[in-house]
Amino acid sequence: MAQSATQAPPASSVAAGSSGVPAWAKFGVIFGVVGALSILTWGPIGVSGTYPRFIGAIMRRLAPDMAHANPYLEKMGSLIKPETFLLLGLLIGGFLAAKLTGDKAAAAEYPHAGEKTTARRYRDAFIGGFLIVFGARIAGGCTSGHIISGIMQLSVSGLIFAGGVFATGILTAKLLQKGGN
Amino acid sequence: MTAAIYALIAGVAMGALIQRVRASSPSMIAANLRLENLSVIKFMATTIAVGAILAYLASAVLGKDAMHFEIKPTYVVGVLLGGLVFGVGFGLGGYCPGTCVVGAGEGRKDALVALLGGVVGALVFTLVFSSVIAPINKLMDYGKLTLDQVLGLPAVGVALGLGAIFLGIVYMLPTVVKKN
Repeated sequence: MAQSATQAPPASSVAAGSSGVPAWAKFGVIFGVVGALSILTWGPIGVSGTYPRFIGAIMRRLAPDMAHANPYLEKMGSLIKPETFLLLGLLIGGFLAAKLTGDKAAAAEYPHAGEKTTARRYRDAFIGGFLIVFGARIAGGCTSGHIISGIMQLSVSGLIFAGGVFATGILTAKLLQKGGN
Repeated sequence: MTAAIYALIAGVAMGALIQRVRASSPSMIAANLRLENLSVIKFMATTIAVGAILAYLASAVLGKDAMHFEIKPTYVVGVLLGGLVFGVGFGLGGYCPGTCVVGAGEGRKDALVALLGGVVGALVFTLVFSSVIAPINKLMDYGKLTLDQVLGLPAVGVALGLGAIFLGIVYMLPTVVKKN
């Protein structure tokens, strides 16, 4: 699906499901049940901690002395954790949902007005990826751990994190739209 | 390793749900952050409301020890700073640490690039943690703080109230604000 830079995604696919209940409502309720069941059975869902645990797993093989001398890697511990399986599930879930529904995702979308080349998109995706994981690790969680699981558990940190994310997230997205034209 | 199996199942469900609401589409995320289309924000708020109500009702019935609550500490400066840094990356790339994994599963190449950026971000973070981040995260640290503690009210009541407020806001907000 090729989209021009200024075009928002088609609303029809998310505005209403086949049953008349909007997709966001139906899937939001299901995700809420999944989140509560996770807290009941193993723990709150959370993604970003797996990134440094992955770094730790590699570093312990390539440079074990450096890995063991690093207090953060020691604190985060082994990659053999339920959260790693959660990430594996995300990969499988995304693949299956796209396959089963026949959704063909674009290799790259161009979400901002000024982002017209693939090189620019990859640059933005890379810097964006860097910042989300770096920021999440400062805060101790990301969209899933802090915002979804955090606020679900009534934690104050989740609300503060969400406030920060939407403040700069909205500003960045609006500036990129304006600046690009 | 039953926990790992539960986590895997939760991950598959979460990945499929994220794909279905198009939260793994950077265009959709950008449209939500520009406040033109609120579907992903409404999806998240619904999730939080339903999850909070169910988790705390379960906790009230089964007892807190039956649950696996894990509250993240409120070190105000670090949590806010992290959120602000995260927001810039979220707005720029249109991915979060989980949705880029889902996007990679769907075959999005820019999701793979974002994932790679995240791995490099984690590496750099690991190297600067002790010298730069740890001192910041000692500031205004209130520990594991929850809303019910702040308000001095029973957790299940606060969860029901928060859930009702979130669902009320979601119900009132439009989904498509601005058509392009």
